[in-house]
Amino acid sequence: MSDPGAAGNGPLIHRRYVFGLLLRLCVNFAVGVGILLVILYFALSRPLPGDYAEVFHALRNLSPYLRPILAVSVLAYALLAAGSTSALCIFILHKVAGPLYRMEQVLDQYRSGAFTPTVSFRSGDQIQPLAQAFNLWIGSLRRDRQRWLATMMDAERLCLQDEATCRAEMEEALRKVAGDMERYH
Amino acid sequence: MKNPATQSRRSRIPYVSPRIQGPAVLAFAAIIATGGAIFWKLVDGEFQRVFLRAAIRGHYAFDSAYDIVRDLLAWHLAGLFAGVFLAGSVLVLLLVAATRHGIGKAVDSLRASADGDLSTPIGAGSIGEFDRFGKKIDAARSETLTSVLEIRGEAAALSAGGISPEEFRLRWDDLKLRIREIAP
Repeated sequence: MSDPGAAGNGPLIHRRYVFGLLLRLCVNFAVGVGILLVILYFALSRPLPGDYAEVFHALRNLSPYLRPILAVSVLAYALLAAGSTSALCIFILHKVAGPLYRMEQVLDQYRSGAFTPTVSFRSGDQIQPLAQAFNLWIGSLRRDRQRWLATMMDAERLCLQDEATCRAEMEEALRKVAGDMERYH
Repeated sequence: MKNPATQSRRSRIPYVSPRIQGPAVLAFAAIIATGGAIFWKLVDGEFQRVFLRAAIRGHYAFDSAYDIVRDLLAWHLAGLFAGVFLAGSVLVLLLVAATRHGIGKAVDSLRASADGDLSTPIGAGSIGEFDRFGKKIDAARSETLTSVLEIRGEAAALSAGGISPEEFRLRWDDLKLRIREIAP
């Protein structure tokens, strides 16, 4: 687990992650093209018949014969490359999609009024500053909440004295709380 | 030792988030399909021309059809790889830029929220998932601001006086409860 505080100052998306993704895509597409080459090599490398007339006819008829082979091999390439790229996208982009999904869950939790835990993403996840910024906001709200409650409780303690002093202190505490809340806009 | 609560929470996070990964997967598939279609169209045309020319030339110094088209095929395959990889790289860079822009705005907005600004919209842009995420954060900030403003109004009303002691006490206790509900 990474330290959210330390991660907060880091970049949203690390260069290493982007280069890793590009490198994997490069290898993926290269393998796809390699497979296409192998299929076409096997289709084209049959020896031509020895006799002059036979070679002439074979070459004349090769194009119509190769058309479906070419179409099938390109289709196989497209399916293989698209399939492996999709898998790559799902697993690599999960380092962005996962934290976003988690943040959405935490936001729903927060809006429902349930306890909101400190957010921390898995190590290796991107967009770490998002968790740090959210924790900063919730932390600041909690500190303010504690200060407002402490102000009100301090006023309540004076209620052991006469009622007029108690009421005056409570009203003063409320003015302080209302004034403190003015920073929110 | 791993915390079981943390583990069970994490295990619910799916590996596939169609709203984010779906469009990227479709875009990559479209690039590959387009590259494949262009390759097929070009190579098919070239094969028809090259084999016909080789047949007519009548000087057969090759063992197989592969020997005739080796260079042509190598160039087209290299072109296919370069085209698809370059287009894929541009897509990756666009995705990264969109993420940096959208999430960067959300981070700035959350940092501003910690300083009390709960009303300025994120403006994460019009990219589907980031726009939706930004609106979710805006909704949470807006609800918090509404709650704080209500509490502030009630505190100001109570501090203004002119309320009976019984009612004051009830509303005081209710105010404390409402303050406790902020950022539970």
